[in-house]
Amino acid sequence: MTARTARTTDLTRLTLIEASNAVRDGEVTSVSLTQAALDGFAAADPILNASIALDREEALEQAHGLDRLRKVGRLLGSLHGVPLAHKDMYYRAGKLCTCGSKIRRAFRPTYTATAIRRLENAGSITIGSLNMAEFAQNPTGHNAHFGDCHNPWHVDYCTGGSSSGSGAAVAARLIYGALGSDTGGSIRLPATMCGITGIKGTQTRVSRYGAMPLSFSADNVGPLARTARDCARLLREIAGHDPNDPTSSSEPVPDYEASLDGDIRGVVIGIPTNFFLDGAAPEVRGAFDAAMKLLEARGAETVKLEFPHMDAVNTYASVISRAEGAAIHAQWMRKQPRDYSVHLGGRLYAGYAIPAVQYLEALSRRGPILRAFGKDVFSKCHVFATPTIRMKVPTLAATDIDAGAAGAVEAFGAISINTRAINYLGLPSVSAPCGFDSDGLPIGFQIQGRPFGEGKVLKVADAYQRDTDWHTRIPGLSSTTMVERRAAG
Amino acid sequence: MTQNIEHQVEEQAKFWSGVAPPNAASEEFARGLAEIAKGFERLRGQMAFEDEPSSFEAALQEIKERTP
Repeated sequence: MTARTARTTDLTRLTLIEASNAVRDGEVTSVSLTQAALDGFAAADPILNASIALDREEALEQAHGLDRLRKVGRLLGSLHGVPLAHKDMYYRAGKLCTCGSKIRRAFRPTYTATAIRRLENAGSITIGSLNMAEFAQNPTGHNAHFGDCHNPWHVDYCTGGSSSGSGAAVAARLIYGALGSDTGGSIRLPATMCGITGIKGTQTRVSRYGAMPLSFSADNVGPLARTARDCARLLREIAGHDPNDPTSSSEPVPDYEASLDGDIRGVVIGIPTNFFLDGAAPEVRGAFDAAMKLLEARGAETVKLEFPHMDAVNTYASVISRAEGAAIHAQWMRKQPRDYSVHLGGRLYAGYAIPAVQYLEALSRRGPILRAFGKDVFSKCHVFATPTIRMKVPTLAATDIDAGAAGAVEAFGAISINTRAINYLGLPSVSAPCGFDSDGLPIGFQIQGRPFGEGKVLKVADAYQRDTDWHTRIPGLSSTTMVERRAAG
Repeated sequence: MTQNIEHQVEEQAKFWSGVAPPNAASEEFARGLAEIAKGFERLRGQMAFEDEPSSFEAALQEIKERTP
């Protein structure tokens, strides 16, 4: 192994927190982190297909600039010199932003998303854009226009979607963290299927200015990273009111990292007796139960609860994003329907037949149902936990609607049944890995808290990660292994 | 109703939005609406609209995490 290869694999093993602290303390340069990330993409991405475009020279130039600043004692913020890459739906002025689509293949926004701007103001470098489901609308990672994204644990399996490239790139140690978006689970699904951590905040917690819209009522911007602590740092940087997004909340943003002390004594965790575990695969159920036992051993208390109105939540959650997505895409669906992949064209099409009365019923009952959760759930527990997905990670072939796979349409709905319910409720939710199935693919669980309780759900996830090593395991198709393999010829 | 769900979806999409079925998978997605419609049917009578003004954003505030 050459010195450069050894250096690259050492650097890509770091967490985001470790990488940013190492730059801050002068132990590594931003240039070396950025070069290691670019080497990782060069080695592993031909197999994973996690990126859409990388800005190599610009990224290295920025890294040099940030290293010069550090040398004179100036740090821009908590992410100084850390390379990141993001789902290709975040606008950056003058940069291509495909949204994973043919329709927007040449789209160059004239302004930059608030979340990207805030991450860059904190010192991060955006080294490129990552693969994603077309217009953020599938839960698997298929993409007919830029190629399917592949799971770094096994190339035949789904990464989860829609933030497929974000999940694969972070899991494969190509990058330290990435923005995803979550309308029905699109951060948490790739986090769980790729074995990493991802959080969507409370609805309105993060500005959506400059983020491609899918569903105005349910879209969330959030990070995927290796640990809950990494996510805490990224979320703190992007959360908070934005005058450019009047729907963003003015609720103060706490220092999430400061609350991560591992002490969850007295925290009551609700475990559902209905809906969320219905039909769960035995291996998923086993890993989830083991995770709850481990949290109990750390001092948490678990309580079994029946969750209210779950039939309504499930039904209403099925129509809001479809109706809103159909409205957003109507002009393109009329003029260039064949520019959509088969599965997306079909999904959007059905949205045009959802009656306004049903859409409005779903929206109008969101508040009362959330209040019922306050009364019946959060009066008895601080947070509640569920498997992120009920099934084992499916293969790309078994869920390929465009190729005519039998049962694939139903599978699309089944994958996101636990996550989209949380989007309907608007609650903060973090997904963390809690085991592996018999195919060697990750299993994850999600933790939900009261609105604006991001700190609490991260605290529980962080406590869990202090006693487990699922999040530290490196997949076979990672930067670490592929760079070594390439060096060995 | 005498028409099947596929035809109903096709007519609604065309009448209100001028959108035609883009591919063969469209019919399968259209059939999926039947299950959602049944879900709405099962909910009838379970929840009533409230007389007082109410909003999702207000509910977020009402049950939010309180720092000690």
